[in-house]
Amino acid sequence: MTWVGKSLRRKEDDRLIRGRGLFTDDELAPGMLHLYILRSPYAHARILDVDVSAAEALPGVACTLTGREVAELCDPYMQLAPGPAANIRDLPMAVDKVVYQGEPVAAVAATSAAIAMDAGLLIEVDYEMLDSVMDVEQSLQDDTVLHDAAGTNRVWHGVFDYGDVDKAFAEAAHVVRIDRLHFHRYSSTPLENNACVAEWTRQGTVEFLCNNSFPGFAQQLLAPGLRLRTDQLHIRTYDVGGSFGNKIWNYVYMALAALASRKAGGQRVKWSEIRTEHLLASGHGNERTFLDTEVALDANGVLTAIRSRHLDDCGAYTRYEPLGCVIWSQVTPATYGIRNLRIDFTQAVTNKCPVVPNRGYSRMQHLWFMERVLDICAHELGIPADEMRLRNYIREFPYETPNGCIYDSGNYPAMLDKAKALIGWDDWQKKQAEARADGRLLGIGIGTTLDSGTNNFGQAQIMNPDLPFSGNSEVATMKLDLEGQIVVCLGTGPSGQGHETAASQVVADELNISPDSVYVRPGFDTAWNTFVGHSGTYASQFAVTGLSAVHGACQKLKAEMRRLAAFMLEAAEEDLDFCTGEEGPELRIKGTDRAINYWFLSNLVNNNNAMLPESLADVTLNVRHVYRPPFKVPDTERKFGNLTLTYAAQLHIAVIEVDRETGRPKILAYSAVDDCGKVINPKIAAGQVHGATNHGIGAALMESFNYDEIGNLLTSTFSDYCPITSMNIPDVQYGNIETPSPFSYNGAKGMGEGGGGPLHTIAAALQDALFAEGIIIDDSHHSPSRVFDRLQEPNRDRRVSVRSG
Amino acid sequence: MLSSQRFRFDGESTDSETTMYPAPFRYHRAGSADEAISLLAELGDGARPLAGGQTLLVWMKLRFDEPTDLVDIARIPNLSSIEHDDHQVRIGALATHGRIAASPLARLIPIVHDCANGIADRQVRSRGTIGGSLAAGDPSCDWPALLHTLDAEVLCQGPDGERTIGIGDFVEDLYATALQEGELVTGIRFALPPARSAGAYVGFKRCAPAYPTASAGVQLTLAEDADTCADVRIALGSAGLTPIHATAAEAELRGQALNETTIERAAEAAVAASDPVDDQRGSPAFKRAMLRVLVRRAVGIAIRRCNGESVEHSHEYY
Ligand SMILES: Cc1cc2nc3c(=O)[nH]c(=O)nc-3n(C[C@H](O)[C@H](O)[C@H](O)COP(=O)(O)OP(=O)(O)OC[C@H]3O[C@@H](n4cnc5c(N)ncnc54)[C@H](O)[C@@H]3O)c2cc1C
Repeated sequence: MTWVGKSLRRKEDDRLIRGRGLFTDDELAPGMLHLYILRSPYAHARILDVDVSAAEALPGVACTLTGREVAELCDPYMQLAPGPAANIRDLPMAVDKVVYQGEPVAAVAATSAAIAMDAGLLIEVDYEMLDSVMDVEQSLQDDTVLHDAAGTNRVWHGVFDYGDVDKAFAEAAHVVRIDRLHFHRYSSTPLENNACVAEWTRQGTVEFLCNNSFPGFAQQLLAPGLRLRTDQLHIRTYDVGGSFGNKIWNYVYMALAALASRKAGGQRVKWSEIRTEHLLASGHGNERTFLDTEVALDANGVLTAIRSRHLDDCGAYTRYEPLGCVIWSQVTPATYGIRNLRIDFTQAVTNKCPVVPNRGYSRMQHLWFMERVLDICAHELGIPADEMRLRNYIREFPYETPNGCIYDSGNYPAMLDKAKALIGWDDWQKKQAEARADGRLLGIGIGTTLDSGTNNFGQAQIMNPDLPFSGNSEVATMKLDLEGQIVVCLGTGPSGQGHETAASQVVADELNISPDSVYVRPGFDTAWNTFVGHSGTYASQFAVTGLSAVHGACQKLKAEMRRLAAFMLEAAEEDLDFCTGEEGPELRIKGTDRAINYWFLSNLVNNNNAMLPESLADVTLNVRHVYRPPFKVPDTERKFGNLTLTYAAQLHIAVIEVDRETGRPKILAYSAVDDCGKVINPKIAAGQVHGATNHGIGAALMESFNYDEIGNLLTSTFSDYCPITSMNIPDVQYGNIETPSPFSYNGAKGMGEGGGGPLHTIAAALQDALFAEGIIIDDSHHSPSRVFDRLQEPNRDRRVSVRSG
Repeated sequence: MLSSQRFRFDGESTDSETTMYPAPFRYHRAGSADEAISLLAELGDGARPLAGGQTLLVWMKLRFDEPTDLVDIARIPNLSSIEHDDHQVRIGALATHGRIAASPLARLIPIVHDCANGIADRQVRSRGTIGGSLAAGDPSCDWPALLHTLDAEVLCQGPDGERTIGIGDFVEDLYATALQEGELVTGIRFALPPARSAGAYVGFKRCAPAYPTASAGVQLTLAEDADTCADVRIALGSAGLTPIHATAAEAELRGQALNETTIERAAEAAVAASDPVDDQRGSPAFKRAMLRVLVRRAVGIAIRRCNGESVEHSHEYY
């Protein structure tokens, strides 16, 4: 019996369905205080005065916090950027100036959340309005500078130049020019908002229950920010209702709750974000504009070179940025064999919510760009969509990309076949011809995308050679507990991905026991000592880093158990089998009925050890394994090296009809084929695919952060932001292929982010529907109103030109 | 519905906050309409009746409204009945959208089902009431447009006694109705549609918890020949600051043969009467295009229903 590969029911679900989960906001304690954060209504303004006296006078208020106090008690967060942007002062609260709408300007802790809010509204803040910078191109002019200490809005600039671009253009049969493409701003809106409970104890340590999804990293920012040692922080998570990367940076709010607790004399303080705060100020996805793109193609429509200018808008602070300026290069050529690329990449700040990693982080934006480029070229050259992909796909694996990344495995043509079969490609081709004959706008689009996982933090050095990061790692600790129970602790801090279940499957196979006999502790806890700096759930890596750590811990524990059992049973280690006997898990001498069970083994070490020989003195039955993927530091000069270990792939096909009169795009059919290598738990993997697909459909058709020209967020409630709901989700035909990764012990690839497949696919289907109308799909967002506007004003002449011969 | 606009600095004031808890208020529960009316009169202009709370509580949480007192009317008996005789339909103000959608009346008059069942999601439908929807004066709400389509009357009771207000006079402006301070809506009534008459109400929505981008209601009576429109009412929702009674559109159809040309003319006239605002649901030009389609679609469904066809219908999503 093997458990890996089975759709084992999720262990987590029992407590979640019974309402016995513990989400941060569930935590209640007598005397607990509640924090309200007052936020700036302005996108850009100087703070002249903050008067908290009326708030402090309200009964029930324990304390207030202002930016000035925070600046006295905290040090600014480490900046990753090189050059002037390194001087940006990022504190958890605005001090002299606000730079985005929703930025914290003061806070109140009170005995109830309602009192805290009432008191917050009594705080008087005097502002002096400044001009807002709402556009990345305008920002780069530096007419209005957001961060005085940096002196410029430009955060980062670099040129990624591979192959011989000019030669390829000189030899090209066709050159297609696309003057502008734009990837819009949206986010993930996890079901559970950010939240934390903090207690600044009398001993000077801080206890946190939170839902941070990258606690390995968060500690390293939080502790110095609060002027503490990391060991003075006790960070714990339990159940987390989704993160999608968005919760990586909520350490800023953890700091505010901690400071409030400190000022309130050590009372526990809870902060629980409300949805509008989440939309305004929790972190958006990167917005990117692609300018002056030129594409060289040979006579067969094979892409030979691309040159382009990319401008990334990272919002008001560089929280995780400018890492996004490099992260995209994990997938430089997308799924295509193109060898010559020159991407001139710039990032700038604007008076919008800071960006944070958001599902598909930075790669998705680039993949969308590559997909648009290929798709527009196919239409311009009259090459059918499927044919165009087949001519350009990478086919040999492992494949080294022009910038030195190694695509581990894949089979894109097989995925295309499968997706076509699922959707009924031939049938839709016929229906499309009929629809077109009737003057209807029906399009069929293909999107091929990558979900690169397990990143090499060395890529940070491409962005800033002085950064002390490289490689990657993850930890699992495992013990045989006092009564012989297998207890596993993970460093990953899951946010709904079923890690307890998947880890149990791995352990069950290694020990030849039932997953029910494996207890994986929920959540993350620094007190377990199960973390490294990379610990967390992000960048599609659990199946590789998390499970490799679990697998490694199993080997260590097994080795100890084997030695102990061999001693007690007076047998040779190699004669012992891990198996499940009548009384449960045990080690047995092959072919005999002589066995020793787990309780006996544990007892020997923990309670009854006088008989143990010196040779077993090192056995603890409590092991810790750190998995480190085999990475090297990239060549920062050439911006060259392997940046990610695994490359899961997604291939989607959509059929969309656009209502000629209203522009309403309607999905008529949708198929999604996924390849994440060896699948650990098919049900969990399918859930991730459906989730990522629906999220991407929402992003393409519904979800967008729209600002007005002075920096008001116009979509700050769910009525306006409109996250996708079950009413909007089409029937997704899901399929799967497995190309095992040669680089992970189990053949698995990380997955879950999904590479933004629907964004590429829906754009391609709309392009197919509207190309004959003279319309180039140049934006990633397509609300009906926008498609309607586009129909009124064809843009092909402005956007694209083709030179052949 | 102003939700996002709330956190929108307009250049003058700075009272935009992210809030989720209402300002403090006192709560009272009324046992009868009379008691509610006298309580409201006693408590003065800071008091509001509370029905399903699906609009009022949202306003309070966002602090658009900070009432000093809430007079809960939701449990007043006899204000939630849904009944009709051979001539007239009467719906109590406290009937919820969900109960109306599930009532025999909604089966009898499908346009009522279209509207009631298409409002928001199940949670909102099981609390929100038809009276609250009217009294809120929100042009995005579905009932006011539907009741325009059915030429309903609003039954009110206040300190000065009872009165009946035609729907056309009831909604006066954005968030403003003809209700006097302390006056309650107790119910609505409209004539039972005659034989050969049927209607349809179609809204276009982005997703369940969002109000319609635009909506159209059509109640059509066919002449004996089955091809001619004997009478018609057309109303538009989310198409301006109040629901719009599209009389010019009706004139294009009344007494005319129902065909593509006349229906198109009616749709055109309806669009001309609309004045949609620019918001995150769409640009005015888009909403007009949408209204044209919705009017046509509603007329088409109404014709089919007049002809005895059963057409399942509700809002459209994308
Ligand atoms: C997420 C969400 C989505 C929604 N989507 C839609 C939608 O798509 N379409 C739609 O039509 N509606 C929608 N609504 C609104 C919903 O239909 C409300 O139920 C309705 O607008 C108000 O009814 P209520 O009973 O909840 O009134 P309340 O919220 O209790 O009251 C609303 C106002 O009317 C007053 N009032 C209430 N009853 C009376 C009365 N009998 N006499 C005098 N004054 C009274 C109150 O004082 C208050 O000022 C939505 C609501 C939510 C929360």
